[in-house]
Amino acid sequence: MTQQILNAIFIGSIYALFAVGYTLVFGVLDVLNLAHSAVFMLGAVITYSLVALHGLPFLLAAIIAVFVCGLLGLLIEFVALRPLRRRNAPPISALISTIGLALIFVAIVEQATPGTLFGWLWQDGANSVRFPSGSVPNPTYHVGGLTIEGTKLGILITSVVLMLVLGYVIRYTQVGRALRAVAENRRAAALLGINVDRIFASTLFVSSALGGLAGLLFGLAVSDISPYIGRDQVELKGLAVIVLGGMGSIPGAVLGGYLLGLIEVLAFVRFGSNVEAGVAFAALFLVLIVRPQGLFGARLRERL
Amino acid sequence: MRSVARGITIALALALAACGGAASTGGTSNYQGKTIQLGAILSLTGAGGVYGPSSKKGMDLAVETINNSGGVNGAKLALDTRDDASDKIQSAQVAQTLIQQGNLLALLGPTLSNSAVAVHPLAESFKVPILAVSTTGIHIVPDCNYPKTDPCKYVFRDSLGEETAIPTNIKIYAAKAHPKTAVLMVANDDKFSSDGGKIVANTVGQYGIDLVDTIAFSKTTADFATPVTKALQKKPDVMFITSLGGIPAKIMIEARRQGFTGQFLGGNGFNTAVVSKQAGAAGVGAESGSAWYLDNTFPSNAEFVHAYRNKYTSDPDQFAAQGYAAILILADAAKRANLTFNDVAGDRNRLRDAMETVNIQTPMGPFQFTSTHDVKQTVWVILMDGKGGFNLLATVSPS
Repeated sequence: MTQQILNAIFIGSIYALFAVGYTLVFGVLDVLNLAHSAVFMLGAVITYSLVALHGLPFLLAAIIAVFVCGLLGLLIEFVALRPLRRRNAPPISALISTIGLALIFVAIVEQATPGTLFGWLWQDGANSVRFPSGSVPNPTYHVGGLTIEGTKLGILITSVVLMLVLGYVIRYTQVGRALRAVAENRRAAALLGINVDRIFASTLFVSSALGGLAGLLFGLAVSDISPYIGRDQVELKGLAVIVLGGMGSIPGAVLGGYLLGLIEVLAFVRFGSNVEAGVAFAALFLVLIVRPQGLFGARLRERL
Repeated sequence: MRSVARGITIALALALAACGGAASTGGTSNYQGKTIQLGAILSLTGAGGVYGPSSKKGMDLAVETINNSGGVNGAKLALDTRDDASDKIQSAQVAQTLIQQGNLLALLGPTLSNSAVAVHPLAESFKVPILAVSTTGIHIVPDCNYPKTDPCKYVFRDSLGEETAIPTNIKIYAAKAHPKTAVLMVANDDKFSSDGGKIVANTVGQYGIDLVDTIAFSKTTADFATPVTKALQKKPDVMFITSLGGIPAKIMIEARRQGFTGQFLGGNGFNTAVVSKQAGAAGVGAESGSAWYLDNTFPSNAEFVHAYRNKYTSDPDQFAAQGYAAILILADAAKRANLTFNDVAGDRNRLRDAMETVNIQTPMGPFQFTSTHDVKQTVWVILMDGKGGFNLLATVSPS
């Protein structure tokens, strides 16, 4: 059982890291960035590509990939979000345009085989691959009947540290204050001299960098990198996590991530796979009935 | 647009009718100047995108090879391949579109068993021969309208079913190692995988193996740590894995990390180089019954492997071999079918009848259909080698 709780904590860290980026964009821009799961996937794919196809050491590859994912966040902002905002389109339009970008990102990877336009990025089409063995040291510790892998421990530490740093930045720095001001009321923030567009762009950058990091850690932890890891394995769960935690709340997303990991694992152990997703989403449903704003969400304000 | 399409169809039909009369002369017909139109429904993207592209490469190679060496009695083969995105509904729509174009003689596919249950009954009702090239689940042939049991006359398959592959593998392993206990890891939201699980559960008893636990999971499971931890609590000798795509590899890696030292057994889900490569060292010795083996040296395989490497600069896999064989099968049937090229419905029936008596050499070995249109071929029992390839353990001839 202790092993299963450890399993839950490891997968929960990845859910949390993914969801933090998701919820950050929602909190600040008030739109759901559904391309987030595609950036998650690209984080893993780019790191894999740099390690397996271009021979870079893992750590360097990971840093480059996270940075590139941040740039993809800017792409999302400039292509899918800003033009719509300029025209005062309703948030649902931004939702659709980000779905469009997600489909394009997935298709680029899925269609890439040796000799094609994106063959330098990915050569395995729809196949699933993993980091070449030996490219990432993974010492395994056996402590009192428990199996603890070095990579998973690393993932846990990385995600906790990053989430703490993000929390600190948002709460205690000038940038964080500007971010919260924009989230609260973008017109008032603009009147106070905050460059709202720049805040939006940096939000997307940070959010996507975190998403990409979550993706590459996922690829490392579960030995699975494919064009579909974002769409199939974290997109809906990430959404559930941020609703559970409270839309736009970062501590909520973190807690929600670990909670979902735990509920899933316990449901699997206790009831088996047929009800695993059912139990997880039933828990979500219950939370929403009791606290419609989520665990940490602010009470919904009247908009009309 | 529609009237243009109809105009083209009519023009084509007239053209076909006009040149049809001269052909059939009995015996070995001369099809000079004709085209044998085939359609393939494959999963080039989506979950089946792991298999469909290989099937397509195998088929394209066979079409090219046959056309370059004079065609089928002089007729060219033309293959129209469509992607169904691994989606059952899209698969049926694509099939419908292809059939309604009116001039194709036979269909190939679809890639996934899950889609076959929609597409095969459709082909049957339109009386279009359809040859499955990668579907290994149960109730594919002959009972394509399962739970109705009357045999489907137009549905064939050249892919070795799990009903043959899995029991053959268990038999070989049990005779060698006499395992006592096993757990089954099965994806229960996919037809191929859950069918495989049923076959394992129904077979192990015969060989004195006690199935101590069955761990069902979803094919979208992200992290296999939890299911594997649960499976290993029973300390089994053998772990059966029946699942698609990269999942068997992920389970093997996780199980080895958690200290499992027993044997992995599986079915067609193990038999791709991609899975073997992804499993790496964790997969060494993982054993499965396979329809095809890369390093077989008999001529019909050696020639195929050589041509494939030349064209694609990579090794073929089982799906490529089965796709390639499917074209050989249809070409052989067409050769003997005395096609008229002016009566599509009649030609489809003649082709269907000829398919029943196919007896040719393929990359999988000598190939025939059983009376129920299923595969009659040798089973190759293979072991993952830890480097993305396989070693041959045993050969089991068809009974």
